[in-house]
Amino acid sequence: MSFDLPVTAAKSGKTDAILDWLQMISGVALIIFVFMHMTLVSSVLINPGIMDAIAHTYEANYMAQVGGPLLFLLFLFHFYLAARKIPFRLEGQKTIWAHAKMLNHRDTWLWIVQAASAMIILIMGSIHMWAVLSDLPITAARSAARMQSGPWVYFYLLLAPLVVLHVVAGLYRIAVKWGVAKDYSREKLNKIAIGLGIAFIVIGLATIVRFMTLAV
Amino acid sequence: MQTIYKDVLIIGAGLAGERAAAEAAGAGLSAVCLSIVPARRSHSAAAMGGMQAALGNSVMGEGDSTDVHFADTVKGSDWGCDQEVARLFADTAPIEMRRLCDWGVPWNRVVPGKSKYFKGGKQFDKEEKEEKRGLITARNFGGTAKWRTCYVSDGTGHSVLYTMDNRCAQLGVEVHDKSEAIALIQDGKTCYGAIARSLRTGELIAYVAKATMVATGGFGKIYKASTNAVICDGGVHGAVLDTGVVPLGNMEAVQFHPTGIVPTDILVTEGCRGDGGTLLDVNEERFMHIYEPDKAELASRDVVARWMTHHMRLGKGVPSPYGEHLWLDIRHLGADHITGKLREVYEICTSFLGVDPIHQLIPVRPTQHYSMGGVRTNKDGAAYGLKGLFSAGEAACWDMHGFNRLGGNSLAETVVAGGIVGGKIVEFLKDYECEIPTAEITRTAAKQQQRIDDMISGKNGNENVYKVREAMQNALDKGAHVFRTEEGLTECVETLQAVLKRARSIGLQTDGYGASPELSAALKIEGQVKLALCVAYGALQRRESRGSHNREDYPARNDRDWLTRTLAYWKNPDDDLPTLEYEDATPSFEMPPGDRGYGKMQIITADSKEES
Amino acid sequence: MGRQLKFKIFRFNPQNPESVPRMEVFSLDETDSMTLFIALNRIREEQDGSLQFEFCCRAGICGSCAMVINGRPGLACHTKTKDLPDEITLTPLPVFELVGDLSVDTGSWFREMYNKVESWVHTDKVFDPNAIEDPMDNAIAEEIYELDRCVECGSCVAACGTARLRDDFMGATALNRLGRFVIDPRDKRTDEQYFEVIGSDEGIFGCMGLLACEDVCPKNLPLMNQLSYLRRKMGVVALKQIFKK
Ligand SMILES: Cc1cc2nc3c(=O)[nH]c(=O)nc-3n(C[C@H](O)[C@H](O)[C@H](O)COP(=O)(O)OP(=O)(O)OC[C@H]3O[C@@H](n4cnc5c(N)ncnc54)[C@H](O)[C@@H]3O)c2cc1C
Ligand code: HEM
Ligand code: HEM
Ligand code: SF4
Ligand code: F3S
Ligand code: FES
Repeated sequence: MSFDLPVTAAKSGKTDAILDWLQMISGVALIIFVFMHMTLVSSVLINPGIMDAIAHTYEANYMAQVGGPLLFLLFLFHFYLAARKIPFRLEGQKTIWAHAKMLNHRDTWLWIVQAASAMIILIMGSIHMWAVLSDLPITAARSAARMQSGPWVYFYLLLAPLVVLHVVAGLYRIAVKWGVAKDYSREKLNKIAIGLGIAFIVIGLATIVRFMTLAV
Repeated sequence: MQTIYKDVLIIGAGLAGERAAAEAAGAGLSAVCLSIVPARRSHSAAAMGGMQAALGNSVMGEGDSTDVHFADTVKGSDWGCDQEVARLFADTAPIEMRRLCDWGVPWNRVVPGKSKYFKGGKQFDKEEKEEKRGLITARNFGGTAKWRTCYVSDGTGHSVLYTMDNRCAQLGVEVHDKSEAIALIQDGKTCYGAIARSLRTGELIAYVAKATMVATGGFGKIYKASTNAVICDGGVHGAVLDTGVVPLGNMEAVQFHPTGIVPTDILVTEGCRGDGGTLLDVNEERFMHIYEPDKAELASRDVVARWMTHHMRLGKGVPSPYGEHLWLDIRHLGADHITGKLREVYEICTSFLGVDPIHQLIPVRPTQHYSMGGVRTNKDGAAYGLKGLFSAGEAACWDMHGFNRLGGNSLAETVVAGGIVGGKIVEFLKDYECEIPTAEITRTAAKQQQRIDDMISGKNGNENVYKVREAMQNALDKGAHVFRTEEGLTECVETLQAVLKRARSIGLQTDGYGASPELSAALKIEGQVKLALCVAYGALQRRESRGSHNREDYPARNDRDWLTRTLAYWKNPDDDLPTLEYEDATPSFEMPPGDRGYGKMQIITADSKEES
Repeated sequence: MGRQLKFKIFRFNPQNPESVPRMEVFSLDETDSMTLFIALNRIREEQDGSLQFEFCCRAGICGSCAMVINGRPGLACHTKTKDLPDEITLTPLPVFELVGDLSVDTGSWFREMYNKVESWVHTDKVFDPNAIEDPMDNAIAEEIYELDRCVECGSCVAACGTARLRDDFMGATALNRLGRFVIDPRDKRTDEQYFEVIGSDEGIFGCMGLLACEDVCPKNLPLMNQLSYLRRKMGVVALKQIFKK
């Protein structure tokens, strides 16, 4: 809070309130998307045929063609909303890092992880979407081919855990910010989040391995 | 030097100061409160137990009235109080509690139905009435005939002070915190304000006002072991004494609280005993009922502290590296009660002692707690000796407490007196005009600046202020504690006189820049030693026992010779003893001196012929 | 017994033109039941009389003595040295203006806060000295007290990443303060009026849920629950206002 300002009530912030709602909603929407995405991609673990089938249904319903670009917009929108909170100036960066180091506090670090992972996801996610959506239709075989060509495998090995981290942190954050979890259930929530994170990372990595071993 | 002009200057932003400020600001006057710490950190915030007012809503308070409250107060004071003031207080207290209620204090309320309570370690039942549902309830406190202590869980002082400061913020009262008053601006007849030192920059600032009020709380920190905050150091009392014309009343009347914890001297509330906590000795046996069959642990503080000390002298104390102590037992109250109603106590025990009071005993002993004495005022709160100077709260000797104040009466006093005296200040200022005393302002400021410069340059010597302070504290702890004797007090006075010499030759060990804490301590040490001398010398001269003043060599209360109030003046700055004068304890008797009903002691009545 | 403690203490006196910010080291023998209150006073009285710090009640009640203790903001008076390692680093609270060494100016900050949230009961009721008080449910009184317990130590603000990034963020203590009035039936402000005060990024929507406030609060105030309660409540007010139009 700054001093020497004339004594007035804080500026009325209906916009701030709406943006906060939207930030939460965009986050939830993206979480739902990530679940759908996982059912699609990770189904290859069961059988490449299933993945092809799911992909086919999505495409038949134009969910990939229309949904893809829409999702991209949502992605950018979420970025725009969340970026209001990220310090882009050097001074702010220094402050928050110094603060996190001083405090050594789990939830403060978690936010830094979330913000940092977000920046990488923004770039990598865009590249990935471009790669996939410009090479429709989606089939297990094509994906396996991409995965096995060039540096793509490393790309996914990095992106997959980051997405999981960001999403799980996001879930946790929404729960504590909006009171889905109360102080007494925070530790439980924390355990659930860790469990969920581990499970997602395992599935993600298994998926990548499966693509790598899938005969093209 | 900056000079700030206001209608009313209030030194102290505790409950008494802010209540008066609210009254003045409410009447359209400009008011400023000075405080060493932000208002809400004032020591009023530390009072946990509660405040007394005869509302009589709880079933255990049925039949209570302002008359009963008045009688309890006078008995508590051991007839040392001014009965007109005690009457005014008892009558106004209920109104002030309700006013606080409107301002936002979340008083605990009556919950109809059956509930349990403890007394003397035994469990009893009570049933609260439906028609009183939701009215301000009360708890039990020592020395009272009825349950009369209004409370907010265990944070009464905190909640009331926060509410009061909210009210002041609403009314636009300015609070200048980190400002320490170090001298009054006065010409021997009229007071014009004070010189303060900024604890941000070290600069001196002159506050000039038509009315000045001293509401700086107690001065317990002249003792070493005290439950008081570190800022309760009597700095402004020293400045008042320094005027030479304003007396301090009954300085020898110092209260020792039975339950200061060992070793940190933090108070655990009277509420512990009120709610049924018991005192145990080295054999983990109760003993208070032996001395006080009726009230036992719930007798007034002076009585309990005295018997505790007595019991320890019989060899029943618990030895420890920090000296002997006794035990406070609240285990039987149960985990819910202890972590709920007595949570603050629970926190203190666990975080300062590493003791879990649900399963363990708490080490306690009598510890300096309250200053009944202070700036002597009339019943309007106007100080003797200087026009335009007022005082209220613990800082004052308004004198409703006499030689012992009851638990819960001082917090109530702060708001009652603050309101009344604030109102009197408003009246006083109605057609009051005074010239701006430019010469006095410059003279006082220059004198203070000179003192500062001399201390920094070491012109008067190079005594270390912290060592001098310790010598003073040790002398009082040794010679002017619960039990007092001619011999001990004489030695104490002599030691203090030597300490006073040293206090006059302080030199700083460090540079004194800015808000230097060493300089703060140095500026008030001489005044503190003078206060200590007022306490010890007053106690030496008072050859009787009354309330918290216990002379082993004069165990009787002597209403024939000592139904008086001591007035201590420091007529000449270079004196090394105060000048003592005496006045009648009360201008009139609504309740003639008699037996308190507890704390059995011999009484020499007014018409007695025996030698004392 | 017998540990030798090493205190690394931040030193800077802005009033002294020659002073530069630095860390200074003091050594002290640990004694039984030693707290930082005891330790710091001994350092001041025995080693350096100019050391600035704030203590008042020394009983964990008044909130004066908050400082950063080995990285965490907390009350120094109720921190026992036996719970700390041999090396203890003490720095002043960030966010608040430095007075000198470990002492900061919380008073001005909080005064600004009272004015911002209008920290008082808003009512047109005129006090009637002859009337009895309005009844209140004891459970509500206790709920209010639960939130009123804040000692304004400033730890929550100093620990909050948002407050450090944004100068204008009110912090958990201010939001909690307003929350105290929201549940107080004596305060006649409407939800819309409360929204005017905290319904923005300076207020409740600025909070990113970092929960350091909850974790450092020495009084264990239910800040996490309080903040989410206000977020929902103020969020709903915003939605209502939109759909009314
Ligand atoms: C631990 C404890 C518990 C208590 N519990 C109870 C209880 O349960 N019930 C009860 O009735 N009483 C209780 N008391 C007593 C009661 O709290 C005090 O008597 C009362 O709060 C005093 O209030 P006050 O307004 O006079 O002074 P305080 O609240 O002490 O305020 C003094 C003010 O003066 C300021 N000040 C001091 N020196 C200077 C200076 N040189 N320059 C400028 N400002 C200065 C301070 O900053 C402060 O603002 C308790 C006392 C203690 C120590
Ligand atoms: C698959 C993609 C993504 C998903 C599923 C996702 C999900 C979420 C969720 C659920 C939240 C919590 C929202 C809240 O607190 O209200 C969140 C917060 C956040 N997201 Fe994302 N996000 C994604 C991509 C991104 C990208 C690309 C960025 C930006 C570069 C980003 C930056 C942030 C930031 C900074 C926050 C924290 C906001 C705050 O603390 O208030 N996210 N995200
Ligand atoms: C509509 C948009 C999207 C489509 C159609 C899509 C589709 C796919 C497909 C087909 C794969 C298999 C590998 C490949 O073919 O290269 C894949 C993998 C992956 N995708 Fe997407 N994706 C989309 C958006 C995103 C977004 C926004 C993210 C996160 C930011 C993301 C993260 C990943 C990751 C991490 C993998 C690796 C597989 C895993 O470990 O689960 N995708 N995606
Ligand atoms: S909410 Fe807790 S941490 Fe914050 S100021 Fe109040 S007591 Fe201190
Ligand atoms: S730490 Fe700060 S971001 Fe919110 S949850 Fe607490 S106020
Ligand atoms: S000194 Fe009061 S809380 Fe530490």
